[in-house]
Amino acid sequence: MTNFNLNGREVTIDDDPSTPLLWVVRDTLGMTGTKFGCGVAQCGACTLHIDGEPVRSCVVPLSEAEGRSVTTIEGLSQDGSHPVQQAWVELDVPQCGYCQSGQIMSAAALLAQNPKPSDTDIDEAMSGNLCRCGTYLRIRAAIHRASEMT
Amino acid sequence: MKQHNLAFTRRSFLAGASAVVGAALVIPLRFEKALAQQTDAQRMPQSFIRIDTNGRVTFLLPTCEMGQGTHTGQTQILAEELGAEWSSIVVEMPKQPLPDYRIPFIGQMRSVGSFGIRYWHAPLRRAAAQAREMLTQAAAARLGVDSATLRSENGFIVHAGAGQRIPFGDLVEDAMALPVPENPTFRPDSERTLTGRAVPRLDTPAKITGRAVYSIDVQRDGMLYGAVRLAPVFSADVDSIDESSVSDMPGVVAVVRVPRGAVVVANSWWQAKQAADALNVTFTQTAADTLSTDEINSMLREALDRTDVPITTLRGNAAATLSSQGRIVEAEYSVPLLTHVSMEPINCTAESTEERTELWIGTQGHDVLRMTLERGLQVPAERLFINTTYLGGGFGRKTHGEIAHQAALASRAVGGRPVKVLWAREDDVQQGQYRQTMMCRFRAVLDDTGSITAMRIRLAGPQMGRAYGFDPERLAQVTGNLANFDPFSLSGLSDMRYVIPNFVVEHAVVDLPIPLCPWRSIAHSFNGFFFESFMDECAVAAGRDPLAFRRSHCTGQTRMLAVLDRVTEMSRWNEPAPDGIARGLAVVESYGSYVAQVVEARVGDGGIKVDQVHAAIDCGHAINPGQVETQIQGAVIDALGAALRQKVTIRDGRAEQSNFYDYPLLRIEEAPSVAVSIVEIGSPLGGVGEPGIPPLAPALANALFATSRQRVRSLPLSDHG
Repeated sequence: MTNFNLNGREVTIDDDPSTPLLWVVRDTLGMTGTKFGCGVAQCGACTLHIDGEPVRSCVVPLSEAEGRSVTTIEGLSQDGSHPVQQAWVELDVPQCGYCQSGQIMSAAALLAQNPKPSDTDIDEAMSGNLCRCGTYLRIRAAIHRASEMT
Repeated sequence: MKQHNLAFTRRSFLAGASAVVGAALVIPLRFEKALAQQTDAQRMPQSFIRIDTNGRVTFLLPTCEMGQGTHTGQTQILAEELGAEWSSIVVEMPKQPLPDYRIPFIGQMRSVGSFGIRYWHAPLRRAAAQAREMLTQAAAARLGVDSATLRSENGFIVHAGAGQRIPFGDLVEDAMALPVPENPTFRPDSERTLTGRAVPRLDTPAKITGRAVYSIDVQRDGMLYGAVRLAPVFSADVDSIDESSVSDMPGVVAVVRVPRGAVVVANSWWQAKQAADALNVTFTQTAADTLSTDEINSMLREALDRTDVPITTLRGNAAATLSSQGRIVEAEYSVPLLTHVSMEPINCTAESTEERTELWIGTQGHDVLRMTLERGLQVPAERLFINTTYLGGGFGRKTHGEIAHQAALASRAVGGRPVKVLWAREDDVQQGQYRQTMMCRFRAVLDDTGSITAMRIRLAGPQMGRAYGFDPERLAQVTGNLANFDPFSLSGLSDMRYVIPNFVVEHAVVDLPIPLCPWRSIAHSFNGFFFESFMDECAVAAGRDPLAFRRSHCTGQTRMLAVLDRVTEMSRWNEPAPDGIARGLAVVESYGSYVAQVVEARVGDGGIKVDQVHAAIDCGHAINPGQVETQIQGAVIDALGAALRQKVTIRDGRAEQSNFYDYPLLRIEEAPSVAVSIVEIGSPLGGVGEPGIPPLAPALANALFATSRQRVRSLPLSDHG
């Protein structure tokens, strides 16, 4: 059994502790906002927070979540009101949208640590999040916008 | 185990065509006569707009939402003409691939060719105007006033003078008794408030909260999961499977034989994937086991020299293209295989029995699914139900049907229980369905003034159209070409707009044992690179500026000239480039739109860095300029990633790449700034999702030439050090 806090609720999971956290969150817990993109921490679609740090959940085993707090896109805010989400709406960032949960989770973690990031800071924090639709320009602008809001 | 099946909001169109409850005003969506006459499909009565007595407005038509923003644009068109309240509109997708949904120009139900707005604008606008007139007439009768005194706005018919307003829903039953007007009056342009504006996308709120449902997110009661183990050589099949090698692994429920491999079904996808990797399976030997990129390149190069290739397209005099009088420019180009890597990997959930097959899938190719299941499992169309979810990217790849066949077979193997089959990224990169590899040879004859008097183009490579059942010989007859016309290979060459009096295009066909699938902008993705690079070579040979040279071959080509003029202005082309910046230009027409781009790049020790791209597009009228901007910006970034580094290479009959580390997309720190300008000169509506792709690679290669005097004639650029 693995116990952790998911979006503010305690959960107990009896999946194999080596199962990547991504699949526990998506298939066992039914929280499908966190996406599968590559399975090898190359694309960032599966980004969620463990104790506030952004991680690629496709390569983090369930066992590493034991006793910790996991936040997914569903837990970032109840209603899309997190400043990053608001900025994403204001700038109409998503196209297909599939990578955007991961983009938003990376951006939220960046702003939590660095409320006024430079373009270089943004590049460093967001480099691991791929988008084939090519929404990077609006992502960059939306991070700056979210920074102004907070 | 504690299970939390958290409810999530399904988009209304996921539920498919819902049953009409009570009375509703339903107006069919019909294509204009000129378009419909191209085929037997004279009308599409299954596509419609519907106004319910509760005031809800629904439209149902067969284009999916894969990021291109088409549902938002269609909603703008409908809401504007009808005078509907924005949030009252619901988008639905058809649940069955019926003949009525086949798009006239392609003969199939597909979401391809950047047509979501340009083909549906007229039918949506006409049906909305018809409904508005009927509601207005009903209101006029009820109020005892002349209908000319009434207006439709925000879901009400309003009589301003008397201060009365009646909601649409209250008028539905009266309106249903009226005849549908044949020639409705359209709202004047001066009253436009929704189209021509950067209205926010409908799907953004769902996509920033994780609530948007892609097919990978579908949950069904009792659902099992499938992972694939497929032959690494494309034409191979299973020789033997030892099911006992995985039957004791945790969660494994079944090993299901499918064409060219197996699906392992388990209680979770992770368990299925572990077992699929561990499965003891052998594959048949094939003649393609030794195939390599070098061998493919030899085949293509040989085809460039073949002497038995018929002329496909001819303008003027063929002999003139072989003339040795004047200045001769010759060059050969090539592009590699590409794969799509849509961020959502290939997947499908199926519930399938002999009686009924239901799919949940983000698909661009509803009729391909139908044909695949008719052929593979004898599923009759009337027993096939497709729930179309959002697509996590399409780019052409999600026109294919193999995943649905795998999911249906897996479901049948477990008694019709729902099974979600999901490919890993490695399966996606390695299992074919590639953009074709092509080579192209050009020969141009320039006269004393530096004008091109003749051009001969030999394309070598496969026929993409064959993969879709389009017969190139028949298409040649229909389109007025001479022989062997495959637009999926030749678009951008055979129909190019420059004024060149003597012009020949030939296609030396090379069949490759590799499954192919169109990639965003299809043939334009390589022919744009070939042709616009070669135009630059001709400009250099003529000793002329690339812009002036192109303009001098654009006599009468108003749209070409308009986007060239705009991009000249944006990039200050006629002024010297800033220090250290090299500029390159290209212009390509595709999918009814014209796009000119100027790339500004700098070459340093770290290789090439693109700082800025200027793009001018003429897509007729921009229904949503914000979406036009972001589609073009995204296309530039997408195309830049491909031009810089992407290729699939073959060794021992199999793909050498496997995931994003060796098939890299552009990352945020590499994304240039992209300025987009929309040219509106009254042109017909054009597509937007694809036309931003083709000019980027040639504009980049032309910029490199401008600084290095090295002509890049093959992609990706990373092959050139």
